[in-house]
Amino acid sequence: MEKAKEIAKQEEKNVEKTREMYEVTPAVDIYENEDEIFLHADMPGVVKEDISVDIDNGTLSISGVRKLETEGSAAYEEFLDVEYVRSFSVPQTIDVEKVEAELKNGVLKLHLPKSEAAKPRQIQINTA
Amino acid sequence: MFTRISDIDRLFGTMNLLQRKLDNLYGDYGRPSTYRWELDSAAPRTNLYERGDTFEIRAEVPGLEKDDLNVKIQGNYLEISGERESDTPQGYKIHKTERGLGSFSRRFTLPADVDATRVEATLKNGVLYLKLPKHEAAQPKKISIG
Repeated sequence: MEKAKEIAKQEEKNVEKTREMYEVTPAVDIYENEDEIFLHADMPGVVKEDISVDIDNGTLSISGVRKLETEGSAAYEEFLDVEYVRSFSVPQTIDVEKVEAELKNGVLKLHLPKSEAAKPRQIQINTA
Repeated sequence: MFTRISDIDRLFGTMNLLQRKLDNLYGDYGRPSTYRWELDSAAPRTNLYERGDTFEIRAEVPGLEKDDLNVKIQGNYLEISGERESDTPQGYKIHKTERGLGSFSRRFTLPADVDATRVEATLKNGVLYLKLPKHEAAQPKKISIG
């Protein structure tokens, strides 16, 4: 009897049904020049408000949640609402204060500037 | 037969290896099929919804501008084609390029004819939305009982 009660309680708790959200890895391009590391990540359908970019202790984590509203019945679905998640190790020489991010047409572009100390420097040779 | 314990150990070792390989093969079992089998590199993934008198097609087209896309409709035939151009910045060293490039084309046969003159296409956040009103003859009709 006690057991039957418990089961009923459990069911009550799960009234709200949510769709399971998958985590997927976004495709990225990574470029580098003397001044910065430049990263592009494909996140179609993600809006600016649902993207987070964190740099902590040499790890860059990007995450974006896609929430698309659907109407009507699905005849077929090849993509669903997902969370794009990926982390990278970045060198400590990245100037965290100056990191810039832009989102356009579902592509996240991240500029990770190198700190002054890490840039290659031309050394002047003085003739005595 | 087995003469030494190490032979048996090795046999089990091999079995474990095979087991692991099989596990990896089905590691993402249960996910929607598209996450298991990749489509032709640049071809966008699409969804099709049906709602009363319209169909809605959605396609993932990250990084594409509206001029990069072409949509053709005839009767119940739909073709989405386009080209994803390289956005590699000049003067940068490349570490990783995973994002597909090049042209793609996908063709669909819709469940019913659509009215090509009233199709609406919007591009938002890298997703193409196509609203395709069904043709007069394919629309749901209310039957009044006489």
